[in-house]
Amino acid sequence: MAKILAVDDSASMRGMVAFTLRGAGHEVTEAENGQLALDVARGSSFELVLADVNMPVMDGIAMVRELRAMDGYKGVPILMLTTESHTEKKMEGKAAGATGWLVKPFDPEQLLATVKRVLG
Amino acid sequence: MAGKRARQQGTGEADAEVSSASSADTAAAAPVLLPADCRMAAQAALKAELLGVLKAGAIVLDGTQVERVDTAALQLLVLFRRELDAQGGTLRWHGTSDALNEAAGLLGLAQLLNLPAEALA
Amino acid sequence: MSAVDLTQFHKTFFEESREGLDAMEAALLALDSGSTDHELVHTIFRAAHSIKGGAATFGFVDVAAFTHVAESLLEEVRSERRAVDSGLIELLLRSVDCMRAMLERSSQGQPVADAESEALRVELVRLVSGEVAEPAAAAAATAPVSGWNIAFTALPHLLQTGNDPLRLFRELQQLGRLEVVRAFVTDSAPAQLSELDPSQCHLGWELRLHGAVARGDIDAVFDWLDGDCELTIAPLVEAVAAVAMPAPDTAVPKPVAGPRPVRETAAASSEGSSIRVGIDKVDALINMMGELVITQSMLSDIGEKFELSQLPRLRDGLVQLERATRELQDSVMRIRMLPIGSVFNRFPRLVHDLERKLDKRVRLELQGEHTELDKTVLEKIGDPLVHLVRNAIDHGLESPAQRKAAGKSETGTLKLNAYHESGNIVVQISDDGAGLNHAAIVAKAQQRGLIAAGQELNDAEVAELIFQPGFSTAAQATDLSGRGVGMDVVRRNVRDLGGSVGVRSVSGKGSTFTITLPLTLAIIDGLVTAVGSERYIVPLTSIVESLRLRADAVRRIAGGGEVFHFRDEYLPIMRLHRAFACTDAVTEVERGIVVVIEEDGRRVGLLVDDLLGQQQAVVKSLEAHYRRVQGISGATILSDGSVALIVDVGGVVRLGQRSRAA
Repeated sequence: MAKILAVDDSASMRGMVAFTLRGAGHEVTEAENGQLALDVARGSSFELVLADVNMPVMDGIAMVRELRAMDGYKGVPILMLTTESHTEKKMEGKAAGATGWLVKPFDPEQLLATVKRVLG
Repeated sequence: MAGKRARQQGTGEADAEVSSASSADTAAAAPVLLPADCRMAAQAALKAELLGVLKAGAIVLDGTQVERVDTAALQLLVLFRRELDAQGGTLRWHGTSDALNEAAGLLGLAQLLNLPAEALA
Repeated sequence: MSAVDLTQFHKTFFEESREGLDAMEAALLALDSGSTDHELVHTIFRAAHSIKGGAATFGFVDVAAFTHVAESLLEEVRSERRAVDSGLIELLLRSVDCMRAMLERSSQGQPVADAESEALRVELVRLVSGEVAEPAAAAAATAPVSGWNIAFTALPHLLQTGNDPLRLFRELQQLGRLEVVRAFVTDSAPAQLSELDPSQCHLGWELRLHGAVARGDIDAVFDWLDGDCELTIAPLVEAVAAVAMPAPDTAVPKPVAGPRPVRETAAASSEGSSIRVGIDKVDALINMMGELVITQSMLSDIGEKFELSQLPRLRDGLVQLERATRELQDSVMRIRMLPIGSVFNRFPRLVHDLERKLDKRVRLELQGEHTELDKTVLEKIGDPLVHLVRNAIDHGLESPAQRKAAGKSETGTLKLNAYHESGNIVVQISDDGAGLNHAAIVAKAQQRGLIAAGQELNDAEVAELIFQPGFSTAAQATDLSGRGVGMDVVRRNVRDLGGSVGVRSVSGKGSTFTITLPLTLAIIDGLVTAVGSERYIVPLTSIVESLRLRADAVRRIAGGGEVFHFRDEYLPIMRLHRAFACTDAVTEVERGIVVVIEEDGRRVGLLVDDLLGQQQAVVKSLEAHYRRVQGISGATILSDGSVALIVDVGGVVRLGQRSRAA
């Protein structure tokens, strides 16, 4: 299955995402903020990145911008995990280069469906 | 579309005769092998390789190893063929994988890539 | 791109649908009042059917899905598998409202289905035998659309968002059979392969997605690509210009066919300000233009080699020109005139609903529906009329029991009438109810502090009270059964249109509210008056008389006001030069002229220097060009090119009354 990077400062959220994806056979690496995610991404090649928007140290938007500038991440799908109320954030994420978004709250099924959609 | 010239449809199928019919007098160059993971990350290298053979005239691509392919890869090949065409060169295939055929068929690019028709079924 | 851009027909579709819904409503109301005419059922069915077909054709999937269910229900009625009862009629009336609202939202590009429409749709589905309620998405998916044309061109940065067209196409494939009609390299592609940045995308596609796919599902596929591509999605219209082959009868796209000049006039202009004009009015205009051209060429002929002997011919020509200009003006003004029927038409439904809500029996009589009003007036008169109708049913008409006790028929009569009267349009709302309750009104006015306790009032004065601001309090304004709800608002709205409203009432026999409106807002017949070096125009319709007063006819009253005796009453004198601060004007009353004007039965004498003559004035809004000025309703340009201000009679009368009161 696919190598996926899950970035979220909330351990419970990150855990839910990782658990669900691993359950579906994916190989999941976790990172708790954007900066750590970039460090991990640099030495590896992920096929999908899932990232929270609001995180300490480096938020999801800045992280997407940095990732897109890195070799090997130009066309990789990056999904923002966002709340419906943050339409501006959605657009900001898109402008930074995010592929799409998954609106919180979501359940495991929705997560898997979206991941499946992106990975094709 | 600039590069889409009228072209004999037979070219792709009549593999055996093609090299002698082509304007290139050198022996057909060794097939360009498309990598197994032919997605965006591999494009820079592939592009360099294609540019290197562009002048050779009769180009043969080997798509048999392709497992993963994306729109960027097919676009690169389409533009490659367009330029080759403009220079009077020809493109044919040494073989194609199912993944490549599926993607080209889905995007409707098989014809622009001169993919063998029977592979698309 | 798709071969046919269907959006150009949307406006027509919305108009047709509105008319269809009006017809449905009228037929439903007729059925409700006991008609057994089978043709009514057909009318209702046909309207629903064509709205459904149109909605599906033009991609308004939610409307199509909703109407589809309503149509199924109607089909049962039409084939006499279901009886018509008042419950069904109520449900269908609500459905009409719902479709109307959905179409309105569609036309404004807003999301169409909402919780309310969905609930109603489910209610309809439950009623229709053999059909199972399913969520809107699924219902939409079964909407009769045969497929979609999708024009999709990537913007260069598309791939850098991680959105790969391959993935999108795979998703589309899940929805239906995907056919790539054409794939092409866009102009943004570099000429040389060496210049290609492989992460940039230069491809475009024309796609066809076959099958009954909901538009929403396609939108969902492209949801993340807003701003990353150019996208056009249009319903697949098979054999549109086509052949003798009959199209499936649900989604017949025939917007191109048929001579529909009137419709097209409307469709050509923009939504907010369009007007539908009868072809006869356009013809009249063209005729006038023809005459004008002939006159013009005759005059220029005279002008080229003018000799004094031709003076009579010149005069004739000028007379002709004047006549033609005036007629042209009339014709142009007539274009803005629309029958009041379009406003009256909403009352059967309102009355129907109020009857139920208030438990009363009402027979509605409409007269003079063909009376035409200026479009602007028409658009703004609806709300005041609704208020008055509501008021009449709520307060005017008694309950069936009360009526019976009073020896009247249990069903009350509410009459709406519109007619022309001396340059005005008069709209009357009369009921045969109990009439105004004087004692209650006086009591309430005292309670509100509008009049002093023990103050004696005649009938007219009592009736006036209900129009006073503050007569109905804010707390009651939200309550339908509060007495005299918002009558001050009604009066203000009517006044804003340059009109007036009054009431006559006979105890036990009923009340009649009379709204008087100017025929048109844009042109008035005015009396040009001089005040110093300024010119003021007084609308002719409000002038009672002009007279010269002797100095001793004017009485000064306490507080500094001036009054004069006129036909059994004392009227305040309003010195226009003082009101508008004109310096070089006549100040002695006996040297000037007093113009008596009237508004709502109240009169005031305006002191001006002189009368200069009558003129039609094209009203220009002061607010639009400058700002609102008290006592002035607008400005106009006189024949010598100077600007004159138009006196706002209502405002001036109020000013005059206030100065008398002061």
